[in-house]
Amino acid sequence: MSLFHLSFYSAFTLSSLGLAFHRTHLISALLCLEGMMLSMYIALSIWPVENQTPSFTMVPVLMLAFSACEAGTGLAMLVASTRTHGSDHLHNFNLLQC
Amino acid sequence: METTLLLNTSLLLTLTILLTPIMLPPMLKNFQNSPTSITRTVKTAFLTSLIPATTFIYSGVESITSYWEWKFIMNFKIPMSLKMDQYSMVFLPIALFVTWSILQFATWYMASEPYITKFFTYLLTFLIAMLTLTIANNMFLLFMGWEGVGIMSFLLIGWWQGRAEANTAALQAVMYNRIGDIGLILSMAWLASTLNTWEIQQTLHPQQTPTLPLLGLILAATGKSAQFGLHPWLPAAMEGPTPVSALLHSSTMVVAGIFLLIRTHPMMATNNTALTICLCLGALSTLFAATCALTQNDIKKIIAFSTSSQLGLMMVTIGLNLPQLAFLHISTHAFFKAMLFLCSGSIIHSLNGEQDIRKMGGLQKTLPTTTSCLTIGNLALMGTPFLAGFYSKDLIIESLNTSHLNAWALLLTLLATSFTATYSLRMTLLVQTGFNRTSPITPMNENNPSIINPITRLAMGSIMAGLLITSLITPTKTPTMTMPFITKTAAILVTILGITMAIELSNMTHTLTYPKQNPLTNFSSSLGFFNPLMHRLFSTNLLHKGQKIASHLIDLSWYKKMGPEGLANLQLMASKTVTSTHTGLIKTYLGSFTFSILMIILSSY
Repeated sequence: MSLFHLSFYSAFTLSSLGLAFHRTHLISALLCLEGMMLSMYIALSIWPVENQTPSFTMVPVLMLAFSACEAGTGLAMLVASTRTHGSDHLHNFNLLQC
Repeated sequence: METTLLLNTSLLLTLTILLTPIMLPPMLKNFQNSPTSITRTVKTAFLTSLIPATTFIYSGVESITSYWEWKFIMNFKIPMSLKMDQYSMVFLPIALFVTWSILQFATWYMASEPYITKFFTYLLTFLIAMLTLTIANNMFLLFMGWEGVGIMSFLLIGWWQGRAEANTAALQAVMYNRIGDIGLILSMAWLASTLNTWEIQQTLHPQQTPTLPLLGLILAATGKSAQFGLHPWLPAAMEGPTPVSALLHSSTMVVAGIFLLIRTHPMMATNNTALTICLCLGALSTLFAATCALTQNDIKKIIAFSTSSQLGLMMVTIGLNLPQLAFLHISTHAFFKAMLFLCSGSIIHSLNGEQDIRKMGGLQKTLPTTTSCLTIGNLALMGTPFLAGFYSKDLIIESLNTSHLNAWALLLTLLATSFTATYSLRMTLLVQTGFNRTSPITPMNENNPSIINPITRLAMGSIMAGLLITSLITPTKTPTMTMPFITKTAAILVTILGITMAIELSNMTHTLTYPKQNPLTNFSSSLGFFNPLMHRLFSTNLLHKGQKIASHLIDLSWYKKMGPEGLANLQLMASKTVTSTHTGLIKTYLGSFTFSILMIILSSY
């Protein structure tokens, strides 16, 4: 694959690994999530150029809108969990208990 | 002269006289029974019953009278028929004579009893039931008499109902009799379904009768006449008052089983299996009872076991195909056995309730009449030549020796005969001779005519009855006349052997020359361990089985282990193991998420 494709493949993979293996703060997970969104935006932008289909040019903008909502939701949950748990340290969080 | 009319009329008169103390009080206003009136009734009935007996002896007339017929269903009729043949004709006066003597004795023995009239009424009801059994020609009427004597036996054994042993003994009697009744009902059902009749004269089968109804009859006789296997109730029945033991459990009720076999003998005459069963069962019973009687110390128990032994001997005679001889033994046995019981009753009351022969002795000087009659009774029981017992017992032993049969049964019977002599003589020696071992102050007084007259009357009967009956009734089967000398005197020889053993045995009892316990005496004095084995083993087994099925199998196994609870337990085990891995931490969750994504991506390459 070309060098350009490698860049955003590796950006996506590294961000997802970062999401999975973040150490202490929940906000770092959210940042990695933003990184995944960024790499996906770039990939979606390159796609109509490579495939010569101008009608797909709108797709990255749609994705950006949804990722903004998602970032907002993530930040709201961060604030809510910080309010209830006292901090955003991840070892306090338990799936079985709110 | 119309002999049959005379026969039937006098028999009916006898029965009506017997029924008066029971029928009259409800009908007349101021009629009260009393012991003396009931005794007088039975005496009158005895005298009246001599009329049909002498008619029969004079002319040999027999009759069957059918009264009211109960139309049960369309083709099965049950006539109430009475049979007057040699058995009922001869048994009736004997039973009434013995009962009269016993009732007269009971007016003295039970004099301090508050409910004495009820006691006498019970004895009279028993007598009526027994006589119904005797003269019945129809199995239905016989069954009514059979059940009647069973119930009266229960009521009379448990007469002193405050005593726990008396209640258990009465219950034991009823239960063992009931097991025998199963056999009787089986035979009656077979008769009703196969031969469509319950009349005894119609039961003679042209060929060999099938063994099943005969087995039923033998089971009935085993239950009622205390053969081995259903015997424990007879020694236990000694809990009742002595007149009850004298009437029921020596002369009349216990012979009902043998009487049934005598009546239905034509059915059994051709079936060799049934005859062999009777023979072996009788031989076993007679030996077992005689062995148990050797080491008993209660005077009434010794006499009870001797009754059991003589019943076994009667069963042996049935097995030899000689019903008439068995009947002869029943008749002579009634006299001396009732007398033995009355003598023991007199001794017991004179010693203020002492029944242990180890605490009696030297009574020959203080109770002369009683002890003389006791000696006569024991000699008659042993088969002393020309007393009553000799005519029946010696004939039985002779027939045993000269017929084709089981050598084992023969050996057992001879052994039992010698044991009879042993325990009778032991009882006589310990009660009458030697030093006086009773307590110093005893109310010993036998001068009452109520004691002396019955006992001496029965003593005369014990001496003469054998001769009278054998000379007046012609036998239907010829007895064997010629046999070797040893065979002829076999009974006497074994009796003398038994007497020698008895003298040795009674010396041992109070001179302490041998160790107290050895296995043989243990076997004999604990009645062969039959009672604890059978009574505990069967019930424990049954209850354990019940517990296994109901509680262990159904409740514990199916409901707990395999069914609902078991399933729940399995799930619990699984979930407990898995719960410890569910921590709920996000990191593990995300780590497994990455791992699986990586796997999927890598596997597509």
